[in-house]
Amino acid sequence: MASGRLEALDRLIEAFGRLPGVGAKSAERLAHHVLKSPPEEALALAEAIRQIKERVHHCRTCYHLTESSEELCLICRDSSRDPGVICVVEGSRDLLALERAGTYRGVYHVLLGRLAPLQGTGPDSLTIDGLEERVASGKVREVIMATNPNLEGDGTALLVANRLADSGVPITRLARGLASGSVLEFANKEMLADAFSGRQCF
Amino acid sequence: MPSVRTLGLVVRTVDVFETSLIMTAFTRDLGKVSGLAKGARRLKSPMQGGLDLLGVSDIVLLHKASDALDLVTEAVPVERFASLRRDLAALYAGYYIAELLSDLTDFHDPHPRLFDAATVTLRHLGEPLLRSRRVLRFELACLRELGLMPVLDACAHCGVEVEAEGDSFAFGLATGGVLCPSCRTGQPHVATLSGRTLGAIRALASPGNAWRDPELGPGSLGAVRATLGAVISHHLGRRPRLLPFLGA
Ligand SMILES: [Zn+2]
Ligand SMILES: [Zn+2]
Repeated sequence: MASGRLEALDRLIEAFGRLPGVGAKSAERLAHHVLKSPPEEALALAEAIRQIKERVHHCRTCYHLTESSEELCLICRDSSRDPGVICVVEGSRDLLALERAGTYRGVYHVLLGRLAPLQGTGPDSLTIDGLEERVASGKVREVIMATNPNLEGDGTALLVANRLADSGVPITRLARGLASGSVLEFANKEMLADAFSGRQCF
Repeated sequence: MPSVRTLGLVVRTVDVFETSLIMTAFTRDLGKVSGLAKGARRLKSPMQGGLDLLGVSDIVLLHKASDALDLVTEAVPVERFASLRRDLAALYAGYYIAELLSDLTDFHDPHPRLFDAATVTLRHLGEPLLRSRRVLRFELACLRELGLMPVLDACAHCGVEVEAEGDSFAFGLATGGVLCPSCRTGQPHVATLSGRTLGAIRALASPGNAWRDPELGPGSLGAVRATLGAVISHHLGRRPRLLPFLGA
């Protein structure tokens, strides 16, 4: 052990350093912050981390996060939601964003990632098998692709659509293009091209 | 602060902090470059769309001090390749091209011809009949441009003209090409190629239209795929991540 180093502190710095977007400097700053903070505050953080690992798990049907002893998430348990329409998202954060809009009344399927083979995420890392089973049940009338509108998101939607093609269930995707509140003049040509290809009946 | 503008193909992006990303592009004039695009993932970012993977963009980089990451200050989309969004096999081939450009080239080592070969290949990945040949030709262009092209006509070790033994040739993956019978022994990683496979590699590597010849059937293309995959794995020091996703 190098002179003057504290093993426990190093371990915490290392743990913070593994968080996304946290560099070596920030990890050190965070660890020293924890060290200086009152014990109850630091232990509350530790407890929150412990609980999220112990109490939060993926919904057995849609893979959204759910708490405690329930097998199904709140949305899958909600009888006012339409189980015949499934909206496919990459992650739970996307689901939460769509829920904040408050207009969608169907259910979801969370893929737990996106097809990103350059980063080592292949088709087998996603929850497409579960989606296929749901669609094969015969109760689904529409699958809406709500993956991110970038190449990896589009590729993910393509993969899912290919896998569901034989089911005969209509597959749609969220419209894209012009942002509400923006002006045509400042839209770039990709946005305008998307807006044209995604146009709807007036 | 000097800034440069160049055409670049985005080959890698990594999300950092809440709204930024670090992009790596293979540019026409500067070779591989990386830069931090601050706020690029924000909804109203002027760079939105210009930093999507496998898109060609007009990129402006601001050079920072030698130890800091350059800043991307503009990225305007110039070309996107529609087939990547329509055809999964084309998408995997496109990702493979990105992997080669990202991991086989060095920073600030420009190869305009390789950039052009990449964009031409990406434009045509939607044609299923010639797709695998176009990818193989791109791999060969990559090896040639980077000075890694296997020797196909003479012994890679001693330079004598190599005759087929029966119908097979010894091919040194580490030596970098075909081997004559006397040099073969003692060389590591030697594969045996049929005359047909070697002929197919030569056709794919040559200018002109020999690579389109329908006689280069799927049988020999499979062997070419395996050979070039092994050559590239050797230079990369690992198997390319996308290799298992490519059809022969
Ligand atoms: Zn659920
Ligand atoms: Zn020799």
